[in-house]
Amino acid sequence: MSRYFYYHIVLVALLNLMLFVPHILIQYRYHGAMTSMAISVVVGTGLCLMFMSIMSKYPGQGLPEILNRFLPRAVTLPFMVFMAVMWIIGPSIAVVSYAVLINRFINPDTSPILVLVLLCAVCLYAATRPTMTIIFLIEMGLVLNLPLIVFILFKAVRNDAINWDAIHTVANYWTQMPKWNAIGAASYIFTGYANLAVYNRAMPPNVRIRHRWTIPLIGMLVLALTFFVPIGFHGTESVDDYLYVWSMTADSMIMSYGFIERVIFVFLIMYLNLTLIYTASGWHQAIEFLKGLAKDYKPEIDGVPMKKAGMIIGAAIVAATVLYLYFFNEKITFRLSEYWLGFRLVVEIGTVGFLFVLVRKGKTRS
Amino acid sequence: MRGKGLLAVLLLAVLLLPLAGCGFKDIDKRFFIVALGIDAADEGKGFKVTLRLAVPSPKIEPGSALSEVKTIQAPTIAEAVRLAKSHVDKELDFGHCKVFVLGEKLVKKNYTDVMEWMSRRRDIQSVAYLSIGRPDAQSIVKIAPKTERYPGNALFLAFGVDGTESSYSISTYLFDFNRRYGEHGMDPVLPLIRKDPQEGDYFISRIALLDKSKMVMLLTPQESQLYNQIANRFGKSTIKATIEEENIVLAANSVSSSYKIMSDQDGNQKLRLKMKISGLFEEAPLGIYEKDWHKLEQTLSEQTEAQIKRMLVKIQKAGIDPFGFGLKYRATHAGNDQTWKTWQKIYPELEFDVKVNVHVEGTGLSR
Amino acid sequence: MLNRIGTIMAQAKDLNTHRLQNKERTIELAYISSLCDESKVSDFIIVPFMKEEEDFLTTLIHNPNFTELNDTAKWADTLLRGFVLISAEQRIFTLDAARIIRSETPQTQVETAIMGSQIALSEDLIDSINIIRTRYPSPELAVEETTLGNVSRTRTMLVYDNRRVDPTVLANVRESLRKLDVDFVQAAGQLERLISGRKRGLFPTMLITERPDRITGSLQAGKVVLLLQGSGFALIMPATFFEFMHAVDDEFDSFWMTRFLIILRYGAIILTILLPSLYVAVVSYNPELFRVQLAFSIAGSRSAVPYPSFIEVMIMLFMIESLIEASVRLPKYIGSTATTVGGLILGQAAQQAGLVSSIMIIVTSVVAISNFVVPVNNMSVAIRFLKYPLLVPAIFFGLSGVAVGIFVYLVYLADLRSFGKPYFRILGPTKRHTGDIGQVKPS
Repeated sequence: MSRYFYYHIVLVALLNLMLFVPHILIQYRYHGAMTSMAISVVVGTGLCLMFMSIMSKYPGQGLPEILNRFLPRAVTLPFMVFMAVMWIIGPSIAVVSYAVLINRFINPDTSPILVLVLLCAVCLYAATRPTMTIIFLIEMGLVLNLPLIVFILFKAVRNDAINWDAIHTVANYWTQMPKWNAIGAASYIFTGYANLAVYNRAMPPNVRIRHRWTIPLIGMLVLALTFFVPIGFHGTESVDDYLYVWSMTADSMIMSYGFIERVIFVFLIMYLNLTLIYTASGWHQAIEFLKGLAKDYKPEIDGVPMKKAGMIIGAAIVAATVLYLYFFNEKITFRLSEYWLGFRLVVEIGTVGFLFVLVRKGKTRS
Repeated sequence: MRGKGLLAVLLLAVLLLPLAGCGFKDIDKRFFIVALGIDAADEGKGFKVTLRLAVPSPKIEPGSALSEVKTIQAPTIAEAVRLAKSHVDKELDFGHCKVFVLGEKLVKKNYTDVMEWMSRRRDIQSVAYLSIGRPDAQSIVKIAPKTERYPGNALFLAFGVDGTESSYSISTYLFDFNRRYGEHGMDPVLPLIRKDPQEGDYFISRIALLDKSKMVMLLTPQESQLYNQIANRFGKSTIKATIEEENIVLAANSVSSSYKIMSDQDGNQKLRLKMKISGLFEEAPLGIYEKDWHKLEQTLSEQTEAQIKRMLVKIQKAGIDPFGFGLKYRATHAGNDQTWKTWQKIYPELEFDVKVNVHVEGTGLSR
Repeated sequence: MLNRIGTIMAQAKDLNTHRLQNKERTIELAYISSLCDESKVSDFIIVPFMKEEEDFLTTLIHNPNFTELNDTAKWADTLLRGFVLISAEQRIFTLDAARIIRSETPQTQVETAIMGSQIALSEDLIDSINIIRTRYPSPELAVEETTLGNVSRTRTMLVYDNRRVDPTVLANVRESLRKLDVDFVQAAGQLERLISGRKRGLFPTMLITERPDRITGSLQAGKVVLLLQGSGFALIMPATFFEFMHAVDDEFDSFWMTRFLIILRYGAIILTILLPSLYVAVVSYNPELFRVQLAFSIAGSRSAVPYPSFIEVMIMLFMIESLIEASVRLPKYIGSTATTVGGLILGQAAQQAGLVSSIMIIVTSVVAISNFVVPVNNMSVAIRFLKYPLLVPAIFFGLSGVAVGIFVYLVYLADLRSFGKPYFRILGPTKRHTGDIGQVKPS
């Protein structure tokens, strides 16, 4: 069942576009993006493998259960709240920036707040389903959307309009020192493993996740595409002008023989689906973390409809997201995303390292 | 429970109802702009914007295309477009605007304002075609060829790959223009549309070269074709040579070109351009079959080499770089800011070493 | 003998066993009542045995209707072929008493196949079991009988393959049948709505079929089949969404063509669900989605239509739904007339009168035609409804609304379970196996 692990990796890796990762990397294209990407491959793969090996020791258990096993509740409670907040921010940024994107490209006359309310309502519905439902949803979503996304990416790479000299030029700047924000952004590609924190509850015992060597390969491929393709399309300088750089890239392609001529519409619809799935999955995890705060909480992964508590938590998350868009603009969203990405890397290294020590110590004691 | 659910749905409907109508506009209440021309204002500062609006008709057959042309003057383009709305009875929609024509005079002066407007406006597609109109954009946009099946079709086809593929014209997408506009080491190029006063339609046979703010020079049709062969490796083109006062034209089937920037022993930078052209004779005196093809190939090669070199030097003198030699230099040299500065010093003194290799595949159907 | 048969034939309610005694000896009889003609049993065995005109053992040995069977391993097989087993003096004899199905067995009408079985399930429960048994001659076939409905006391048979069935599903089905509290059960479809978890579900979670070949195929795949007295349809559970898209022909027609047809069916349901809302979204919000030509021709054909796109769509959908409904309700002979009148005349006239655009006529017919491609009727009806909710987001949000609506359908499908089994899981077997996700009960 290793594919259920890889779905998370692929989904999160593809979603980097919605969190401004390409734009952040492109900002640093002359100042260490290349080296940061190389470092992030090593760091990301390392974290991923470590977390996997920790979680595989506790099949059928999520991070809250594992923490409760080792630590007193007084320690785990604030930690879980903190984790939940981390899990809310990323998906919320994605869905907020998507609402703005819809306003820019598809529905210029509808207010982004209204679109966001619609998107959030749908995500709330999805996020409050049982864990197994989300797993099946991710599977179906990827099965349906991935072929077209791969097709678009393939078309992009094979496109005549790509200027390989520009890509070459940027690649030449590999001697620059890496920057923290760029590493944070680039390592986001690998962060799908963190979803095991909750979805490990559905993982069966004694299952080795096979083909681990593909993780750095998937990551490197996605990173290279996400960074170099826009540079190939928009040159080394103009590429910096676009905030939604991949939408502009998709808009620069046409399918001369396709039913829909402009690639951007296909691209936007595909990414709308992925963003909704990602947000639903992220919020679901946050809700599960927060529900775990209750003392008598028993995690259920299938069949049982979510209790009222989940709905209330979800509604609170939705309200926070909508209020955020009401008060802040896309410039702040971009900054927030940049800092969140960097901070997330710190948190991930900390958490995985801490867990590693905890599990080792716990073992020697018993 | 049942009543509650129903109530929630009703409430939602009541909440949503007032939203209907925001953005809801039927297709027959919209005017599609199919081509947009931008000129400098006749007098004073500002712009003259010419819009070609499609009038939808149920019938689609050659010659039935109806369209309206509106011309508006305003200090800025954005204002001009807003003003245009007050001239028409339906909502203006840029969704299908594929062709932008810039007036020659405007481009010769300064095109940066137009650029800014176009790259900011969200409903303009990045894959719209950009071109220069001579004598001005207005007269080009006004032309309605008789063969059009639907409004604007002729212009779309002239640029797109679906219709004609002419070796004298290029098609420049907006995003490509934008990229060259910003790029260090590559300058914009645009096709020039000229109005044919006798026939009342237009033709595209020359390429305009621009720097970062204005048009610098125009290539002749012959040079435009050479540009296409070098930069776009355009097959379906011709090369010409004169041998013993007879014109020989070779129709190229395949063209390949590659260039390298290298320094010789003295430290002088040299650009080596290699081209391979192979094709069939399309126009040649009878009896060419008997002649020594190898010699013919050599003559063709030499004469093409000379033509290319002349063109490259001319472009170099003008101080622009439409081929992206500078980008090539940056791509093949160390990645730091110094490289670009070095190139700016190198380019005016760059030497060109052109090697053309013509291969004759046959003499066509006759000997 | 009887005890041994009882153990071989797992739980067959329709297995009849008798022990008869006259003055001289005792014999034992065993037969499956649904497969046998009971009059034959009494004519050949019970009456002669009771009359005692001659020694029954000599009758058994000399009468050619009886043959001796020495191989105990063949007992189950012979029983399942409609034979009676007679045990007398430690010797086993068989008598062919198979009941020949009446010639007026119903033909398949709802779910037709060109080369598949032409016989449908009968409204008579015993006949149906007979049809299934003859096609599935395995001793593992278990038949349980219950009655449903407090008033109707409808006889219901639960049929499954004892070895292949998933015990959790079986327990689930029994539980939901036991919990059923309703006065009347008359149709398979009614039962389906009653025992599926969601009272107002959008999708059927059980297959309703009249085809015996589909039933035997499902039994083989370890599913549970529910037959109802008085209904010519059987319920198959659990079901996945994808099974509804498979016709039985897919198993025996040309491989490549049937694969293509399966893809075509998915394409068709996407069209039938999406087209009306896409029409509204494209016409009213995003006319730049399609090519220029298409945009202009839609704009041209719509120029005579006086009201907004969604009213136009609703008019046409109303017309086509009434047409379909009319042709279902009308007697067969008039049905075709209604279609001709409605389809040809109304469609043509509506467009010429400027009530609807010609593109809309095409949209409506595509919607109607592709809806009929779905092979299983209850899914086809369910899908017929799906286009209406999608119109709402299309009217308010255009293209992005449609995409969001589709996402909601996806979530809903992923959330559906058919008797504890995932309904919308494309990869991986639905049967429980070790190493699948969701195995460990979280502690």
